[in-house]
Amino acid sequence: MKIRPLEGRRLLTIILVAAFAWSLFNVDWGSGLVNTGGLRAAGHIASSILRPDLSLDVLDKAIRASWTTVAYAVAGLTLALAIGFPLGVLGSGVLFRSSWLRRFNVAGTRLVLAFFRSIHELVWAWLFVVAFGLSPLAAVLALGIPYGGILGRIYSELLQDVPEAPLRALRSAGASEWRVFWFGRLPMALPDMLSYTFYRLECGIRSAAILSFVGLGGLGFQIRISLDDLAYGRVWTFLFFLIALVSLVDVWSSMVRRRITA
Amino acid sequence: MSTVPEIHRFTSIRPPKVTFIGATAIAALGLIVGSWVFVLGADRVQSQPFFSVETLERGGRFLQALLGIGSSSTPAFAQWAAWQDTARLAYQTLAMSVLAIGIAALIALATFMFGASNIMRGELAPYRSWVWGSGFFVVRAFYTFTRAIPELVWAMLIIFMFAPGLLPGALALGIHNAGVLGKLSSEVVEGLDTRPLLALRSSGAGRFQVLAYGVLPQALPRFITYLFYRWELIIRTTIVVGFVAAGGLGLEFRLSMSYFHYTTVTLLLIWYLVLVVAVDLIAAVLRRMAR
Repeated sequence: MKIRPLEGRRLLTIILVAAFAWSLFNVDWGSGLVNTGGLRAAGHIASSILRPDLSLDVLDKAIRASWTTVAYAVAGLTLALAIGFPLGVLGSGVLFRSSWLRRFNVAGTRLVLAFFRSIHELVWAWLFVVAFGLSPLAAVLALGIPYGGILGRIYSELLQDVPEAPLRALRSAGASEWRVFWFGRLPMALPDMLSYTFYRLECGIRSAAILSFVGLGGLGFQIRISLDDLAYGRVWTFLFFLIALVSLVDVWSSMVRRRITA
Repeated sequence: MSTVPEIHRFTSIRPPKVTFIGATAIAALGLIVGSWVFVLGADRVQSQPFFSVETLERGGRFLQALLGIGSSSTPAFAQWAAWQDTARLAYQTLAMSVLAIGIAALIALATFMFGASNIMRGELAPYRSWVWGSGFFVVRAFYTFTRAIPELVWAMLIIFMFAPGLLPGALALGIHNAGVLGKLSSEVVEGLDTRPLLALRSSGAGRFQVLAYGVLPQALPRFITYLFYRWELIIRTTIVVGFVAAGGLGLEFRLSMSYFHYTTVTLLLIWYLVLVVAVDLIAAVLRRMAR
């Protein structure tokens, strides 16, 4: 039997298994892995799933918190669009013919976009709350910047992936690079761009819910307060609202995506 | 429209047709306007409005504090000892992210075939009983449930049970991402070309042999792609989960923020960016290996 050299997928398998093993070694498996009474607390939390607190007061809070969460997500996403669209167009480098200018511009924009999105929205939120105070605009800014970075990157890739032939036709008919973009590239990439934006809305709802960790209102804030009160029934009510909200947006966005990209 | 004779186009009265996309556009516009009205209205009742000189000055002071300007002591990011101390935390954070993606991958690998409708209910189903078919809905409900709850909320729940450390954080990240990975991989299986599988079946392979030798090898490459994509996102979220689960950079970030050690915050942010870039590079190398 011939021994095959270690390469490609076999090597990858070994690396992945070894990495997982390494990570397991970093866990302190010694005493005190589980809290004293931790199992009982977990049992309480789990069993409360059947007894969510459905009193009018809690439902009222849940609906208000859901709206706050949606408002942050939508406002944040509009800001992300305002950041991501211009930077995405710049970063795709399609507006320039001179290759030197183009390369410089693409590299610069990509770096800014990468910086925006590599910091998590909650970290942005914390920095903004300390910097600007507990304004809802801090939440919008915190969502808008990383999401703008993600949208910008995806937009620039979609704009580059447009088929070249129709654009060449426009160019040979005498259109300027700006017109080629406006009447050729953008309309062709638009369905995919819109579809991705709608997908991001679903993620935005989840992100908006956790922004409340740093003191901005919303579903996450209510979940945290209820956990502090050990009111597990209330926790589940808010969690069900969050799940329903995310699923609703998920269904809506996938219906939209099917229709505009088909 | 073309079938309607020219003359009738203007004479016949029809209600304007509301398409789904049209309704979506109106709803989206309404949501955007409503949200901004809400956000700006809520800002107005704050003691200090966002668009004011005070807010600007406050932001400026915070930025100076982050950079260590105007402070007499050496900023933390200029001290070698501080770098050495935090390197251990960065190492732990990396381990936590690997553990998290490992947990997510194990859960997703064990379940994703049972979340594909063509295997559970369609032409590839090994059994045609309603028990087997309803397994599809159980698995998909599990994915929806784990996916809809954010990592941080999972961490807040799990920390009730486990002592603070790497494991609860990795579990929280792992559970959420198991739902994401599982859903993505199930959809890969649903999109597979079924012809080779049916050929395998008709040449005598057993029901489960088709799954093991037909479906799995076809789906695995995409699974690996998603795995690395999620890992890149997990490393960004590990610090956030660390806020409550107390593993790695997250706890230190939280403490430094509470004690106003803002130059340490800058140092931790630098480490954070280093980790993000490193993971992106490693994932790119490994992804090339999978081809």
